[in-house]
Amino acid sequence: MSALVSAAPGVYGREAGAEVIKSARMPQFIIPTIILPPAFYALFALGMGNGDVEMATHTLATFGVFAVMGPALFGFGANVAGERENGQLELKRLSPMPAGAHIVAKLVATIVFSVIAFAIIYGLAIFAGVDLSPSQWAILTSVHVIAVFPFALIGLGFGYRLGQKGAIAIANIVFLAMAVMGGLWMPVAVLPEVIQTIAWALPSYHLGELALMAAGQSDAANFWLHAGPLALITLAAAIFAWTGQGRHAA
Amino acid sequence: MPPATSPIVARLKGVAKSYSGRSVLKGFDFALEAGSVTALLGPNGAGKSTVAGLITGRLAADAGAVTLFDRDPRDADARARMGVMLQAAGLPEALTVAEAVALHAGYFKRRLKTKDVLEQAGLTALAKRRCDKLSGGEQRRVHFALAIAGCPDFLVLDEPTTGFDPEARRAMWRLVREKADAGVAVLLATHHMDEADALADRIVVIADGEIIADGPPAAIKAKVAGSTIRIRTALSPAHLQMLPGAAKVDQRGADTAILTTNARATLEALFSADPALTDFEVASASLEDALADIIANTVKEAA
Repeated sequence: MSALVSAAPGVYGREAGAEVIKSARMPQFIIPTIILPPAFYALFALGMGNGDVEMATHTLATFGVFAVMGPALFGFGANVAGERENGQLELKRLSPMPAGAHIVAKLVATIVFSVIAFAIIYGLAIFAGVDLSPSQWAILTSVHVIAVFPFALIGLGFGYRLGQKGAIAIANIVFLAMAVMGGLWMPVAVLPEVIQTIAWALPSYHLGELALMAAGQSDAANFWLHAGPLALITLAAAIFAWTGQGRHAA
Repeated sequence: MPPATSPIVARLKGVAKSYSGRSVLKGFDFALEAGSVTALLGPNGAGKSTVAGLITGRLAADAGAVTLFDRDPRDADARARMGVMLQAAGLPEALTVAEAVALHAGYFKRRLKTKDVLEQAGLTALAKRRCDKLSGGEQRRVHFALAIAGCPDFLVLDEPTTGFDPEARRAMWRLVREKADAGVAVLLATHHMDEADALADRIVVIADGEIIADGPPAAIKAKVAGSTIRIRTALSPAHLQMLPGAAKVDQRGADTAILTTNARATLEALFSADPALTDFEVASASLEDALADIIANTVKEAA
């Protein structure tokens, strides 16, 4: 096709590798995104659950979604905002780098760090006596990996629109609000009715419910009741991210 | 068969560009040649960055044609032959200098070895240093390294030596000169007149979206036909202004600078008017003087 543009697969691989290395070397990224969710799981679900395996299984499903939110929201929101603000993104755009390589690389890195975070939670859950069949583990893992996409798109939408400081602030608010109101820390049913209604608009709520189904904690007959809204929310997030491209923070 | 190499690297033909109704360029023609350093100068808002933005494909023209290596500047094959040093540019903080260079070089099929890039940019000793542990000048050298990593035929440098000490500046100028001598076309945007004077083969002065002067630094300076005489004298500026050849008198404290079109005539008149005058210095007009004069004259004509 073109004589001077580098062979694409190599570029994607190197870009993804660089993203993983960059994040791995930043404690301000690793601690809140990888250490915190398993620590919360150990403390609240296991420590306070007093050996209640039923509760440990329930919270395994929802904390797995929680563990994915950090790398996705911060990796995309804050990092893209920073790279756009200081011209790194512009320099890549002016190079012959394939247009999608930067986003694909960030997605790969986000999935890598999400998997590390929820794999630690899986380990803690098994240690606490949680017993799922191999197919249940496989489906649960799929739900948790899929969870990367809506949160990454939301983060990207903010990253394209806000400066780095603004994006970090918004990522923190979205992170906590989605976790609490989406019922990831405690079931939505125990929250006020207003929040139960808001939860329907949150990807965290639907992903939590789907993860509960995967772990045999909820009736799988309701699959479309949550997969449908999740698909719509993800589409809206994709439009939010797409329309933010090329914008400049004030 | 390889395509015949055109000495014209980038060309703007009849280009118009306006921002929210305000016209910046109108019927603008410009061409950049291989193997020379061209500096774009002019007041802020005159259209310099618009011209640079059009050539690098960051901006799209409203009308007219912009080509880079006979292609659309946004074409990946055209960009593959261009290296850019942006004015405001960060670096991947957590990567080392060598990692950052290797990553960027990897976007280009034709590229220099990382080791060679580091050597050319004087970064060999800093190869393993993390980018967030570099001084401002060192970061700027990494930006230059990224710009040359893809063996560019065209280099765009936006304020390359801001924040440099004099020695580091001269070192950077040498690097740029070497690239130009090797056949690379260099487009330089700078606010430093001494930089343009020292580095550029050709100076293009833009004001109000038009090229008002275009030529080698010496020719631009010659436009203000004359020289500057610096003296210490008791004579009043009004008196000095009346001297033969005097075009402009600038008094700063005890020092007076007279811009003259005929240094000999002005000096002879000075000596007879002020017998006490002993200290004087004659210098050709600086690029800064020339530019100020050219721009002022253009604005006057337009008014």
